[in-house]
Amino acid sequence: MKEKILPKEQLPQILKTLLESYKVFAPIKKNGFYVFGEIETPDEIALNYLNSKIPPKEIFYPRTEVLFTFTKSPQGIDIQEAINPSESRVIFGIRPCDAKSFTLLDKFFSYGKFKDPYYQTRRENTLLIGLACVNPRSTCFCTSINGSPFGEEGLDILFVDLGDKYFVKSLNLKGDELLDQLPGLTPASEKDRFNMTELLKKVLASMTPEIPIENINTKLEQLFDEEVFWDQFSQKCIGCASCTFLCPTCTCFDVVDEETSSSGKRIRLWDTCQFPLFTLHGSGHNPRPTKRQRLRQRVMHKFSYYPKTLDEIGCVGCGRCIIVCPVNQDIREVFKALQET
Amino acid sequence: MTQMSNLKKVSNPYIPKLTTIQEIVSENKPVNDLKTFKLVFNNPDDFKEFDYIPGQFAELSYFGAGECPIGIASSPTEEGYLLFTVKRVGVVTTALHNSKEGTAIGIRGPFGNGWPIEDLIGHNVVIIGGGFAFSTLRSLTKYILAKRELFKKLIVIYGARNPNELCYKQDLAEWEKLDDLELHLTIDRPVDGWTKKVGFVPAITKEVAPDSTDAFAIVCGPPIMIKFTIPVLTELGFADERILLSLENRMKCGIGKCGHCCVGEKYVCIDGPVFTQAQLRSLPKEY
Repeated sequence: MKEKILPKEQLPQILKTLLESYKVFAPIKKNGFYVFGEIETPDEIALNYLNSKIPPKEIFYPRTEVLFTFTKSPQGIDIQEAINPSESRVIFGIRPCDAKSFTLLDKFFSYGKFKDPYYQTRRENTLLIGLACVNPRSTCFCTSINGSPFGEEGLDILFVDLGDKYFVKSLNLKGDELLDQLPGLTPASEKDRFNMTELLKKVLASMTPEIPIENINTKLEQLFDEEVFWDQFSQKCIGCASCTFLCPTCTCFDVVDEETSSSGKRIRLWDTCQFPLFTLHGSGHNPRPTKRQRLRQRVMHKFSYYPKTLDEIGCVGCGRCIIVCPVNQDIREVFKALQET
Repeated sequence: MTQMSNLKKVSNPYIPKLTTIQEIVSENKPVNDLKTFKLVFNNPDDFKEFDYIPGQFAELSYFGAGECPIGIASSPTEEGYLLFTVKRVGVVTTALHNSKEGTAIGIRGPFGNGWPIEDLIGHNVVIIGGGFAFSTLRSLTKYILAKRELFKKLIVIYGARNPNELCYKQDLAEWEKLDDLELHLTIDRPVDGWTKKVGFVPAITKEVAPDSTDAFAIVCGPPIMIKFTIPVLTELGFADERILLSLENRMKCGIGKCGHCCVGEKYVCIDGPVFTQAQLRSLPKEY
């Protein structure tokens, strides 16, 4: 654990040094909104962002990816696995909520008898450098889900914007080693530490008040069959599934084949429990035919099933599902309604 | 992350092994929407690694069309090949149905928990099936017959819409001759020349009234059949822990990652497909 100070004008130098040894992913502005993308020069970075529109999980778990390719010939079929060993990478400027989502995804893709080698291969050899939130949005609720705008979970290094300089904190051995290689850092003083603590207090005070979510899973189980409870939320849902596509902890996918006459590939792509087709049987039977059941599934999965199987809430409070919803569905309203029943 | 660095040694569960269709048998000519495929691994070592028990399933690939989960109809006691009975329903199953002997088929598996053989050993087994869902029950019946001394009484109740829709006609003919298997075949409505039972599976189960003492009931069939068979079994004294069912849900990966088949916190593909009626009582009815 090291605590350093970096004058802001030195940041390009830091990025330059990182670019010499790593592939660097950082917030960039693309088509009018912020996403995480690979940068080749320090000036591509767009640090004015509040958070990226699309969660950075797509770096490890892309929207579409080829699982394998195959060629057909008279001799038979030849399969070529499409996993490439990952180069050393750094994600710079990730928000604490998204960093926390990686700890959930790590657990999910590695738990049980079967591991997911595609996610794991991309994930290994990646260092995470976070950027604390000093301007949380009104839709942010990480503090309700055991998170913090200055949260450190999942990160190797945390940067905090103190105005004219960054407070830089390494959080583990890998972070220590990386800090040693970076230029322009000076030791943090007691005053810097104090300023950071004061800033955190200010940021926390600016956030929407915490919603108590204790016993939320017990309450959800009790209300599972209460149609009226779920209808108050599902009736306005239009089933667009943006909430799940832009969720940093959603992991569901579809698998399809594409082929030409002699070759093809098997592809997986993000899928969503919000679509009726997700569960439709070949017979025509559908276990979750209504919006009520599908909305309930999304809430139950994150706040009841996830804690049961992985011992953690499957949400990090980033608020993307609230921002993106075309009918202003707000998951926090579900928590509030749960507390009131 | 230390866990991850070992991963090169672990095989990729998304990559199918190659097999070849050796034989295709239509189970219900002339309707022809039910075919049993006999698959043989191209590499015999892959078959050795394919260590399965009755009740498990596999993901079959028709390259270019995609993958679908199908219950294994053969028994591990049948050496050298695997059997899968496939109903023609969607893109992949249609491609399978249109393929010929010699076609390359990918296979991933075995997946799922399978019938709890260890629990069944030393007990009476009542197998109740309807329609083409009989496939993993064929596997179990074959398995029990091959290791007959390990199990007590074996009763099989199997129903279909009409005689033509009963799968595995050759096996059924052989089973009818056996003294240590009590077979009850039934069809929904009377048909000329049919001398066996007529009636739906729940009614026939009630009529046969298998003794629940020291017994397990194993049920697989369409949802409507299951719905009406369970109360009959309960009435006969079968405890919920001794009524075993195999669930089906739409699924893609078979390894607990794609999320399609989940029922509550359980995944049909890794926690099932076999559940006891007692387990199902605590899960949402989302199957």
